[in-house]
Amino acid sequence: MIVTHELRKSFPAQRKLFRPAGPATDAVDGLSLSIPPGAVTGLLGLNGAGKTTTIKVLATLLRPTSGSVTVDGLDVVDHAREIRRRINLIAGGERMVYARLTGRENLWYFGQLYDVPRAVLGTRIDELLELVGLTDAAGTLVERYSRGMRQRLSIARGLINAPAYLLLDEPTLGLDAPIARDLRAVVANLARDGVGVLLTSHYLAEVEQLCGHVYVVDHGRLVAEGSPTALTAGTRLPHTVELTLAEHAPAVSAAVAALGAEFEVGVDTEERPTFLLRSPEDLAGELATAVVRAGGAIVRLEVNPPTLEDAILAMAGTPTSVAAR
Amino acid sequence: MATALPTLRRNWLVTMRAYQWTYFVGTLATGILTVGLAYLAFHAIGGGRAGGGFAAAAGTADYLGYVTVGAAASMFTVRMVLWVAKAQITEQREGTLESQVLAPARRLPYLVGVGLQALTTTVVEVVVMLAFAIMIGVRLPAPDPVTLLAAFVAASVAVFGISVPLSAIMISVGEAHITQNTLFVAMGLLCGFTFPPAYLPDPLRWLGEALPVTSALRALRAATLDHAPLSVAAPDLLLCLALGLAYLAVGLRLLGPAERIAIQRGGSA
Ligand SMILES: Nc1ncnc2c1ncn2[C@@H]1O[C@H](COP(=O)(O)OP(=O)(O)OP(=O)(O)O)[C@@H](O)[C@H]1O
Ligand SMILES: [Mg+2]
Repeated sequence: MIVTHELRKSFPAQRKLFRPAGPATDAVDGLSLSIPPGAVTGLLGLNGAGKTTTIKVLATLLRPTSGSVTVDGLDVVDHAREIRRRINLIAGGERMVYARLTGRENLWYFGQLYDVPRAVLGTRIDELLELVGLTDAAGTLVERYSRGMRQRLSIARGLINAPAYLLLDEPTLGLDAPIARDLRAVVANLARDGVGVLLTSHYLAEVEQLCGHVYVVDHGRLVAEGSPTALTAGTRLPHTVELTLAEHAPAVSAAVAALGAEFEVGVDTEERPTFLLRSPEDLAGELATAVVRAGGAIVRLEVNPPTLEDAILAMAGTPTSVAAR
Repeated sequence: MATALPTLRRNWLVTMRAYQWTYFVGTLATGILTVGLAYLAFHAIGGGRAGGGFAAAAGTADYLGYVTVGAAASMFTVRMVLWVAKAQITEQREGTLESQVLAPARRLPYLVGVGLQALTTTVVEVVVMLAFAIMIGVRLPAPDPVTLLAAFVAASVAVFGISVPLSAIMISVGEAHITQNTLFVAMGLLCGFTFPPAYLPDPLRWLGEALPVTSALRALRAATLDHAPLSVAAPDLLLCLALGLAYLAVGLRLLGPAERIAIQRGGSA
C-alpha cells in the first residue's frame, strides 16, 4: 500500500536578479491518499492541479516539503533506494529512453540498472517488446522511432523491474487507439495480478473503465473521492436527452413542457425540430411516451448521462464548462 | 558495481555510433600545437637551450620533454573531465536523468563505467599525440615502467575524483560550459602543464597543490623524464590519491542533492 499523509510540496518562486521573489507555489497542499495493491486508483484534476508533482514525490524524484509518504511502510525519504526497486513510473510524452540505443539495448540497460537477474532479463525483454508491439523494431535506434514508438518503449521500460506499484502519468498520451486499448488491457491485467496502479489521465473514459477508486484534486487539495459512478451521481449533474422529430407537430411542445424539465427547442441540419431536455433524472422514457401521445413521429432519441468529466469540471468550480454541454 | 560494466558497454555502443571525429581532431590539434609551438620556441628563440632558471624550477633541463608530458597529461585531463563530469548533464539534456534517478542503481558504479569507457578512448588519443611528438623529434627518455603505471593510475583517480563534484555543480546549475572552462583555465594556470608552478606566487601555488592533478603531473614527469623509482615518486602519488579520493567522496555526497535540484528545476511536465 502506498499511503500519503498530509502531503505538501511547494516550489520556491523563481528568483529574479534585483527583484524580490514572488510567493512559493503550493503544487500539492495537504493530500492524503492511499493506493492499494491489486487495484487501479485514479488521480484526476485539471491542468496544474498537482497530479504530476504528486506522482514525482511518490516516485522519489522529488522530496515532500512536509507530510509523509510510505510505500509498504517504508518512508520515501529514508528508504528511497529500496522503494525504487518496487515502483516504476511511466509518463506520457517524455523522453525517458536513450535515443542512440536500440529499443532492445534500452531495455537491457535499464534491466541492469534495476538488477534484474540475467536469467530472467532476456525473456522479460522479449515479452515486453511483444507486449508493446516493438518486436520488429527492437533492433532499430530509438532516434528513428516515431513518437508513439518511443512512448511504447517508455512503457516497456516502466515494466522492466516488474514493479509492485506502477505510477502512470498520462501514459496513453500520443498513442494510437489500438495501442492505447492494449495498454488499458495490460494495466487491468497487472492490477488483477496484484500490482497497485496509480493512473492520471485526461482521457476520462480510460479512468471510468479502469479505476475502482478516484481522487479528484484541485490546486493541490483533495476535492472529492469515490468510485467514478458515485462521483458522477454525487455531483447531481443533469442527464441530457435529445429528441428529433420527423416534422413539426404543434401539440408536442406543450406535451414536452408538461414534463416540467428545463428544455430547449431547435432544428437539426435537415431543418427537423429538436428538443434538448436537462433533468437530474433520466427522462427519456417519459419524453418519448409524451411525444408519441401528442402525435409526434420520433426520428432519433439520444440519452447522455453525466460523465466523470462533467463531474470534475463541476468540482473544480468551472460551471460554465458544464453548462456548455 | 553491477552498473559499471553495462554503462561501459552502453557508452561504447553510443560512441561507436556517433563518435565525433571533430572532437578527436580538435583535441589532437591542441596537443600538437602545444608541443609544436614549444618546439619552435625552443629552437628559434632559445637556440636549443632552456634558461638555467627553468632547470632549477622544473627539476629538469629537458624543456621539450617537460612540455610534451604536460601536453599529454593536459589532453588526458581535459578529455576525461569532459566525459565523466558531463555524463549526467548530458542525461539531463537528453531527458534520461529522471529514468536514471528513478532506478535503484548507485551513482559511483555508473560513473566508473563512464570513466572506464572514457579511459579507453582517451588513451588512444594521447598515444596518437605522443607518436606525433616523437615524429617531430621530441626525444622521450625510456620511463620507469612501474612508476609510470602507478602515476597513470593515480592520475586517473585524480581526474575521476575532480569530475564528480564538477558533475554535481553542472547538473544543479544546469550549465556545463562556464563550469568546465573555469576549471580548465584554473588547471592550466596552476597545475604545471606548460610551466613549473614554482614560477607562481605562493598562494596560487598552494591552490595548485589542492588540485590532485598537480601532484599527478609531478609523478608522471618523475616517471618519464627522471626515470624515478617508485619510492621517489611515492609521496606525490599518495598525495594525489588522497586528494582524488577526497574530491570523489565530496562529489558523491553532493550528487544526490544536485540531482534533486536538477529534477525540480526541470520544470513542470
Ligand atoms: N518543477 C517545478 N517548479 C516550479 N513549479 C512547478 C514545478 N512543477 C510543477 N510546478 C507547478 O506546480 C503546479 C502543479 O503542477 P503539476 O505539473 O503537478 O500539475 P498537473 O496536475 O500534473 O497538470 P497537468 O494536467 O497539466 O499535467 C503548477 O502550478 C505548476 O506550475
Ligand atoms: Mg501532469
